[in-house]
Amino acid sequence: MKQTSHTFLDNAHTALQDRDKAARRDFMALFTPLIRNAAMDDFGHFEELRQHVKEVRQHTLDNLDHYLTRFEREALHNGNHVHFATDADQLNSIVLDICQQHSARRIAKGKSMVTEETGLNDYLKRAGLRVMETDLGEYIIQQAGETPSHIVGPALHKSAAEIRELFLAKHDLGERELAETSDMVGEARKVLREHFLKAEVGVIGANALIAENGYSMLVTNEGNGDLCANLPNVLIVCTTIDRVVPRARDATAMLRLLVRSATGQPQTCYTSFYSGPRREQDSDGPLETHFVLLDNRRTEILASDYREMLQCIRCGACLNHCPIYAATGGHAYGWVYPGPMGSILTPLLTSLEQSNALPNACTSCGRCAEVCPADIPLPDLLRDLRHDENRQKLSSSRWRLGMRLHAWLARHPGLYHACTGIGIAALHLLGQRKGSFTQLPMASGWTSERDFPAPQGKTFMHQYAALQRADKAREDKSAAVAKPPRRRARPGSGKASGERQEPGLRADWPLKPDPRRPGKTRPGTAGGKGTGKGKPGAHPGGPRGKKPRSRQSDDR
Amino acid sequence: MTDSSRSRVFANVRQACRGAGEDTIAQELEALGTAPTADLPAADIHTAFLANVLKNQGSVDCVANRSGAVKALADYLYRHFRSHRLVAGNDPHLAAMPWREAGVLPRFGSVEPGEPVALSYALLGVAEIGGIVTLTGKANPAANNLLSEHHIVLVESTRLVRDMEAAWECIERESAKTGRSRGVNFIAGPSSTADIEGKLVYGAHGPRNWHVILMGDVPANALEEAHALAGR
Repeated sequence: MKQTSHTFLDNAHTALQDRDKAARRDFMALFTPLIRNAAMDDFGHFEELRQHVKEVRQHTLDNLDHYLTRFEREALHNGNHVHFATDADQLNSIVLDICQQHSARRIAKGKSMVTEETGLNDYLKRAGLRVMETDLGEYIIQQAGETPSHIVGPALHKSAAEIRELFLAKHDLGERELAETSDMVGEARKVLREHFLKAEVGVIGANALIAENGYSMLVTNEGNGDLCANLPNVLIVCTTIDRVVPRARDATAMLRLLVRSATGQPQTCYTSFYSGPRREQDSDGPLETHFVLLDNRRTEILASDYREMLQCIRCGACLNHCPIYAATGGHAYGWVYPGPMGSILTPLLTSLEQSNALPNACTSCGRCAEVCPADIPLPDLLRDLRHDENRQKLSSSRWRLGMRLHAWLARHPGLYHACTGIGIAALHLLGQRKGSFTQLPMASGWTSERDFPAPQGKTFMHQYAALQRADKAREDKSAAVAKPPRRRARPGSGKASGERQEPGLRADWPLKPDPRRPGKTRPGTAGGKGTGKGKPGAHPGGPRGKKPRSRQSDDR
Repeated sequence: MTDSSRSRVFANVRQACRGAGEDTIAQELEALGTAPTADLPAADIHTAFLANVLKNQGSVDCVANRSGAVKALADYLYRHFRSHRLVAGNDPHLAAMPWREAGVLPRFGSVEPGEPVALSYALLGVAEIGGIVTLTGKANPAANNLLSEHHIVLVESTRLVRDMEAAWECIERESAKTGRSRGVNFIAGPSSTADIEGKLVYGAHGPRNWHVILMGDVPANALEEAHALAGR
C-alpha cells in the first residue's frame, strides 16, 4: 500500500470537502461511544478488568522471549508449521511459497490488518493468485479498489447507495434491485460462499496466540474467518509476535475488553480457538496449518520507550472517540492504521520522516487514553513522537525556532509573564474597537477559518494575582478587627475567615516558582532513544525521561 | 530463510526482555490474580444463560428430557420448513435421541450445500456470554456450525458453566482425556454484520437463525424470567 501520511493535511482537507461522508463520520462518532459506554456499564467492573489485562500484557511483553518460545513449542507440538518473518516482504514470500507448494489458485482471506500492513493481497495477485477478502467490509473495499478506513469497520466510509452501485457493476447477476441492506448482504454471501467452497488456501489473522496450549484466537461476527479456517485444505495464520498471551484465561479476559470496546457487544458471535491441522478422527478442517509470525520492527518498539504501544488490542475505540479521526476519516492518515493508534504505529512501523504529520494530528484532548481498553497513554506517546520529530529536525526550521524560543521563555517565568502581559495588552489595544482580528501575523492557520477574539486587557495570571491581593487585603483587615483571634487563618488559606477560595488552587501557586519545575528541561530530553533495552517498564533514555509516568502527572 | 529470521527475531526479543527464569515468571503471573467476569443478569444460572442467549438474538426452548428435545426439534422444523429433516454430527448423544417419537429424520454427518438445518450437541453452555461451546471433530463438524441457514444447539442443563474461564477448565479436562481438539468454538448468536452503514443484518456468511434447546432440570419460571430480562 502506497503511503501518503506525509500529505495528511492535504488528505484531511480533501476529506472535509465531502459533506456526505463527513455526516456519516459524525454519526458514527456519536453512535459508537454510546454503545461502548453501555456495554462497559453493563459489565460492572470494567476498570478492574482493564487494569488486570494491562498487567498481564505488560508481564507478557516483559517476558516475551519466554512466552514466544513456549507458544512456538506448543504450536509445533499441535502439528503446525511455524515461520518467522522479520519484515513485510518475508511474510508475503512465505505465504506465496506455501500457496505455490500446494498449487493453489484461490485464496479465501479473513480480515487481517497485519496482511494489510504487508500488502499481501497485491503480492499474491502479482503472482497470479486470486485472493478474495471474505469479511463483508473488506470485500466491499477490495471490489472498490480502496483501502480500509477503520480497523474494525473497513467500509463504513461508503454509503449503502455506493455499495449497491458497486455490487451491480461487479456481480454479473442480471437485473435486480438490491434495495435493502439485507439484499446486499445476501448477495455478498452468495458470491463468497462459492469462493469459500473452491478455495485451496485460507488466510486468517489472530486476535491472540495462547502460549500454554498453542491455540490461536479468532474473533468475528460474520463467521467468515471460521469458514476460511475450516473449509480450505491449507490454513495460514498471519499475525505478529506481540499477540502472545500466557494462558487461555488471559485470552478470554482480553476478549471481554475487545468486544465491548470495538462493537459494544458482550460477546462476538464466533470466538474460535484453533490448534492445528485436522486430527485423524476429524471429518473436516485443513490438512496443513501454518503460523507466520511477523516482527516488522516490533522488536525495536519492544526495546524502545514506545513499548506500551504493543499492548494495543486493535479494538478501534481510540478511533471512535478521536475528534480528528471523526473529522478527517481513516484515509487521510495515509496508511494502514488510522486514528490515535495509527498516528503512533505508522511512524514506528514505517518512519517518522514519512509520517511526522500524524503525531501532530492530535488535539491532546485525551479521550483516546480514557477509553483505551489497554490503558495505553496515547497522548503521551504522541507527544513523545512530536518531541522526536523536533529532535530529528523533521519539522520546519521556523517551527523549531518558535519552539526553542517558547521553551526558553517558559523556563523564565518572570519574563514569560511580562512578555505575555505586553502582548495581551497590545492585542487588547489594537483589537478593542472591532472586538476581534480577521488577520494576525504567524496565525493565518487560525484566522483563515475564524476570527481571533481580542483579549480583554489582562492575562489570566494578572487577574488571578489581583484577586489574590484583594483576598489577602480583606483577610488582613478582618484579622485586625477580630478580638480575640480564636482561629487565626493561615495567610492565603481563606478558610478560617470564610473567604472565597478557588477550588484546587493554592494561594501561593502563581506567586512562587513550583519546586517540581526547577527551571530545567526534563531529564533525558537530550538523550537518544533505545537505551531502555533490558529494563522493561522504564523509559530511561527517551523523551519521557526518568520519572515514571503517572495519570495525575501535570505535564500531560 | 525462516531459520535465520527466527534467530534474528528471538535475538531481538531476548535483548529487549529481562531474561527472568521460568519459575519467577510463573510466580509473577500467578500473583496477577484472575480477571473479573461479567455480572450475570440473574442469580439462577439457567435463567442467566437463557436471558443472554436471547440478548444475543438467539431463540430458546426448555425441555425436560430427550423426548421433549426431539419434540421441540420437530416443532421448530415444521414451523420453519414444513419438514422434519436435519443434519446432525456423529455425536453419540445425538445418535441416542428417540428420533422416531416425533418423526424427525436426521442425517448424521457434515452439512452439504442446500441443507438448511444443522444440529449440534454442545459440550458446554456459558451463562456469562449466552453462548455454547463445541469442539470440532467427527461428533461436531465445523461446517455444521457455519454452513446451514439454521443452527440448532442442544445443551444439557448439567453442562452449564458460569463463565469462559470455567469453560476452559472443562475444555482442558476434555483435552487431557482425548488430546487437544483442532478447534474450540464459542458461539453466541447468529452470524451477523454491520459493515454497511452500521446496520445490523443477520446471516452474513453463516446461520441466519440460532436456536438453543436447554434440556434437563430448569426452574419452572426460568424461561419466562429470561424473556422478561432480555426484553424479547
